Amino acid sequence: MDLFFQQVLNGLTLGSIYGLVALGLTLVYGILHVPNFAHGAIYMVGAYVSYLTMVDLGYNYWVAMACAAAAVAALSVLCERLVFNPLRDAPPIHDKIAAIGIMMFLEAAVQMQWGAEFRRMPTPYTDIFNIAGLTIPAQRVLIIMGAFSLMAVLHLFLKKTMTGATIVAMAQNREGAFLVGIDANRVAMMTFAISGALAAVGATLFAPINLVYPSMGHLLIMKAFVIIILGGMGSIPGAIVGGLIIGFTEAFGGFYISTDYKDIIAFALLVVILSVKPTGLFTKGVR
Amino acid sequence: MLQLDHVEARYGSFKALEEVSMSVEQGELVVLLGANGAGKSTLFNTLSGLLKPSAGKIALNGRDVTGLKPSALVAAGVVQCPEGRKLFPEMSVLKNLMLGAYVHRRDKAGIRQTLEQVLSLFPILDEKKDEAAGSLSGGQQQMVAIGRAMMGRPTLLLLDEPSLGLAPLVVKQMFETIKGINEQGTTVLLAEQNAFAALKIAHRAYVIENGRLVMEGDKDTMLGNEEIRRAYIGA
Repeated sequence: MDLFFQQVLNGLTLGSIYGLVALGLTLVYGILHVPNFAHGAIYMVGAYVSYLTMVDLGYNYWVAMACAAAAVAALSVLCERLVFNPLRDAPPIHDKIAAIGIMMFLEAAVQMQWGAEFRRMPTPYTDIFNIAGLTIPAQRVLIIMGAFSLMAVLHLFLKKTMTGATIVAMAQNREGAFLVGIDANRVAMMTFAISGALAAVGATLFAPINLVYPSMGHLLIMKAFVIIILGGMGSIPGAIVGGLIIGFTEAFGGFYISTDYKDIIAFALLVVILSVKPTGLFTKGVR
Repeated sequence: MLQLDHVEARYGSFKALEEVSMSVEQGELVVLLGANGAGKSTLFNTLSGLLKPSAGKIALNGRDVTGLKPSALVAAGVVQCPEGRKLFPEMSVLKNLMLGAYVHRRDKAGIRQTLEQVLSLFPILDEKKDEAAGSLSGGQQQMVAIGRAMMGRPTLLLLDEPSLGLAPLVVKQMFETIKGINEQGTTVLLAEQNAFAALKIAHRAYVIENGRLVMEGDKDTMLGNEEIRRAYIGA
C-alpha cells in the first residue's frame, strides 16, 4: 500500500509539471490557433536561465525562478512579434514550420553556447520527509504546491480580471473580441508571455529532480501535445486534468508494468482515449 | 457625422464594395436595405475596421478614420453589434456586457452607470446576468449583443440584422428598442432585410445591391417606392 501511495505522489509530481507546460501550450493554441512546437525549447531555455542564474551568478533558487520567468516571457513575446505575428495571415502550415524552426534555433543556440552535456541543477530543498511510511522529498512537495498555486493564480487572473477576460474572450469569439475594442496584438503578446513564464517556472521546479540539457524539451512537448489533444485543444481544465491523467498513468504504468515503457504509455493512452472520444475530454474551449 | 467617399473593399480579387458614398448625420437612424450577399455586412465590417478598404475614404466627425484598427474605431465611438451576435458564449451575461465596456475600463463609475441603463433597457438580462450567454434564447442573446454594444457608449451604433432568426413578437420589441436607443441620442445605422419594420422607425434609407448603393431616400419616399415594395417588402 505504501508503494501505491508513493506512486500517487509521483503521479502528482509529474502531472503538475505536465499540466503547467500544457497550460501554456493550450492558451496559445486557444487564442492564435498556433500549435507552438517551440514550447519545449522555450521550457529548456527556462531551465538554462535558472541554472545559470543559480550556479554561475550565485543567486538563490527563487531569484533564479523569477529571472527565468521574466527572461523566457520576454523570449516568447519576441517569438510572437518576430515570427508568429508576421505569419498571421499566412497559410496555417507556415506557423507550424516556423515553430519547428524556432525550436531548432533555440536548441542549437543553447548547445553552441553551453554545450550538450547534462547538468544537474542544485536545489536548496534537499530534505526528505518520512510520513506514514512514505518517502517524500521536499522538492516534490514544492513542485506540487508550486504548480497548483500557479494554476490557481492563472485561474483567478483569467476569471476575475478584465485583462484576463480579454484572453478568454479572444479564445471564445475572435471577431466579437475585436468588436468590443480588444487589441489582438496586446492579447497575443500577453498570452505568449504567460505561456513562456509558466514553462520557465515549470522547468525550474522540475529541473532539480531531472537533468538540464539542450534536448530536454523534446519528450515533454510531445507529451504536452498529447495532453492538450486529450483534454481538448484550447481547454484550460482539459490541460490540467490531461496533465494529471498522463502523470498518473506514467507513474502507475512505470511501476506496475515496466519503467522501460513509461514514455510509451502516454501515447498508448492517447490512442485509446481518442478512439473512444475523438474530440478530446473537454471540448468546449477556454473557460 | 459619418462620411463615406467612394469606398471600395475586396476579398482577394473580388470587389465586395464599389464606389460606396454615403453619409449619416448626428442623431439619425439610417437603414441599409439589401438582400443576402448584397454587401451589408461587408460595409459594416469595413466601418468597424475588421476589413480595410482598398480605396476611398471614411471620415468620422470630420476626422479621417480610413484603415484604423477595430480597437481604435471602438474607442472613437463606432461600435458594431454584428450579425450572428458574436457573443462570448461561455461567459456570463454580465461578463459579456462588462467586456463591451472594455475601452472604458478605467472609468469604473461610468461603466456602472451605463450598465444600469442597459439593464433597464433589457430588464430580463438583469435576471439572467449570471447565466452563460450561450444558454439564452435567440432573442435574449440579441439583447446581450445590443447591450454589449451599448456598453461601449457608441456615438454611432452599427446594427447588423438584429431581427435575424427572432420570433415575430420579439422582432417588434427589438425595433421598438432600437427606436428608443436612437431617440436617446445615439446615431444608428441599421442593416436589415426586414425592410418594412426597419423603414417604419427610420429617418432615411439606402439600398445596396451587388456592393453598390443603388438608391437613397427618406422614409416616406422609400416606403412609397414601387421597386422597394416589390423587392424588399413583398406587397
